[in-house]
Amino acid sequence: MTGQTVTIAVGLLLLAPLVAGWLSLFIKGSRWLHVTNLISIGTLVGAEAIIARAVFAQGSVTAFGEIVYIDALSSIILFIIGTVGLACSLYMRSYMDEQVARGVIAPKRLNLFFFLFHMFLLAMVLATVANSLGVQWVAIEATTLATTFLIAFWRRRESLEAGWKYLILCSVGISLALFGVVLMYYSSLRVLGDVSSALNITQLQQVAAQLDPHILKLAFVFLFVGYGTKVGLVPMHSWLPDAYTEAPAPVAAMLAGVLETVAVYAILRCRGIADQALSPDFTGGLLALFGLISFALASFFILLQHNYKRLFAYSSIEHMGLAMVGFGVGGTIGNFGGLFHLVNHAFAKSLAFFAAGNIHRRFKTVEIDQVRGLTTVLPWSALALLISGLALAALPPFALFTSEMQIVTALGSSGLPREWTQPGTKFPVVMLLLCSVVAFAGFLYRITTMVWGTAPKDVVQGERWSVGHIPIILLGAVLVGFCLALPVSLRQFFEMASTLLVSR
Amino acid sequence: MTWLTPHIGTQLVDFGSAMLLLTCFAIVAQRRLSACVDLFALQSLFLAMTAALVAFLTGTRHIYIAAALTVVVKVIVIPRVLKGVIERLNVTRELVMKVNVPASLLICGALVMIAFFITQPIIPFGHLLTRDSLAIALAIVLIGFFTMISRQKAVTQLIAFLVMENGLFLGATAATYGMPLIVELGVFFDVLVAALIAGIYTNRLQDAFDSVDTTHLSELKE
Repeated sequence: MTGQTVTIAVGLLLLAPLVAGWLSLFIKGSRWLHVTNLISIGTLVGAEAIIARAVFAQGSVTAFGEIVYIDALSSIILFIIGTVGLACSLYMRSYMDEQVARGVIAPKRLNLFFFLFHMFLLAMVLATVANSLGVQWVAIEATTLATTFLIAFWRRRESLEAGWKYLILCSVGISLALFGVVLMYYSSLRVLGDVSSALNITQLQQVAAQLDPHILKLAFVFLFVGYGTKVGLVPMHSWLPDAYTEAPAPVAAMLAGVLETVAVYAILRCRGIADQALSPDFTGGLLALFGLISFALASFFILLQHNYKRLFAYSSIEHMGLAMVGFGVGGTIGNFGGLFHLVNHAFAKSLAFFAAGNIHRRFKTVEIDQVRGLTTVLPWSALALLISGLALAALPPFALFTSEMQIVTALGSSGLPREWTQPGTKFPVVMLLLCSVVAFAGFLYRITTMVWGTAPKDVVQGERWSVGHIPIILLGAVLVGFCLALPVSLRQFFEMASTLLVSR
Repeated sequence: MTWLTPHIGTQLVDFGSAMLLLTCFAIVAQRRLSACVDLFALQSLFLAMTAALVAFLTGTRHIYIAAALTVVVKVIVIPRVLKGVIERLNVTRELVMKVNVPASLLICGALVMIAFFITQPIIPFGHLLTRDSLAIALAIVLIGFFTMISRQKAVTQLIAFLVMENGLFLGATAATYGMPLIVELGVFFDVLVAALIAGIYTNRLQDAFDSVDTTHLSELKE
């Protein structure tokens, strides 16, 4: 694999969504919009495969004079962006066209939708491959800007409210992260002295041990709070349930499956640098503590929900919290579990939102109480909801159970990082297990009431085949497949990435 | 110029930063929305002047670009957009406040002290010229944050966000003599787009709720 091939692949990765996005503004007719979209995403996935092979052979690749830096960790995130993006694109073919046919949106607004969707993709890809922490910040703020109109796309009062809340909270959070980036730059300039490349991860990794711990501590706290808002960690989560409920289903799937993952990635990148100068217990403790709080609180909120989209939103907070605990506790098992959890959650949650989109279109309600008898009304969606529901409740043999057990094992064997608790305290593990029981029961109870029972009389029964069913079946198959075996190449990738994350 | 000794240079930069902080307090004390926009434009002008001063004293060329962009984006374009938004609205004043003006000012005073306290351990590492500006920058960020929480009109919240951004820019100029150019350009782009989007939003909120009071945004609850 020559460097040139990689450069071309990286170029395609960034150009595909950019070109497709601008083209979408001028194309007439929904068919060609979808074709452009699929070509763009297909190119994206192809380029990712080439890059992943190069990363596998060389460990890490840089392109365009060190502007782009990709290692195993960023490859996994790219993999999530590509696969979930592809699934969403297929789903949008039936979902968006039906909205146009029903007159919910004007056909012209489809152009705007696809433009914003591609800008969203572009920003996430840029945030993942950027070498400079500054560029990464710019890209993550750009995701906020691109998605805010996607969330408010129906233009109802509630969606406007959700969009405004999202814009304000995330922009403020992200501003705090920028202060963290400034501080990071402040500390690295003193060591590197070079103005242009002092924020590059490749440079920072080499000198990280010499950076000043006082500044880095402050920088990491700001970065963590900032990007943590985007992940939706408690107490910065209040935008998240509203946004997921109001956003169109494919957008909600992208937000839940991919955007959160990219924000977690940004935190992990900064942590990799901070850890070399600070004691890893400081950053790990912060991650694990906020993860634990998010997990515990979200699992109780799951019990209270009577709206299925909000149910999925709180389950997102719960799972992100759990992954954070894994990364915080660290070690090989903790990091592997955390990464694996991110991937599984991305698949399961996007499947859940696809099913939710189908249910919403048929029942015209988001209330769990009014949805009954899915097995007769929408058999395929019912199956999808059940598979994703069982996976998200972390029932064995689903892979989310495996990753959850890895995280629990890591927490049980090494405990929370020392800086925050007495060594050997078993309280966190007990709390984690209790809360996961609560979440499990609450989540499955809600899902099963929707699936079984007798359907309301005024709802049309039967499900017609559409393109939107392809991603549902594929994602379901992947989730069930992960129960049986994890492909060797994928496992090696996870192992590569988790060794990158293990600090010293 | 012989009169411009490093000592006087430091004093001048400190003066510029202090003016930024002062306008921050003025925004907190101001109820009229259009006056808030004017004060924000004034603050951005001070910011551009401080940045240009730092650029001149240190000979760092690319800060000039950032200063020029500040003038274009934050002194001219964004205030104009905001004025247009306010003209369309049926409110000109922030009537109900969660925290009244005197209490807000006291809290902001406390925030300044907190900012100095937090940055104390890391200030000695900084450049001599801009040492104290980092603390002031953090203070401005915190005050912007507080204003955002305590005000209810969408326009005021937007101004508070922009004030935070000003504080961040001062921090970047003070601590590091500016960020790499590509990052700075990206930040400017983001801020501009964010302000435009928020402007469009305010119009839509006005249409949908007949008000830009964000307390009406309470339909989504547990």
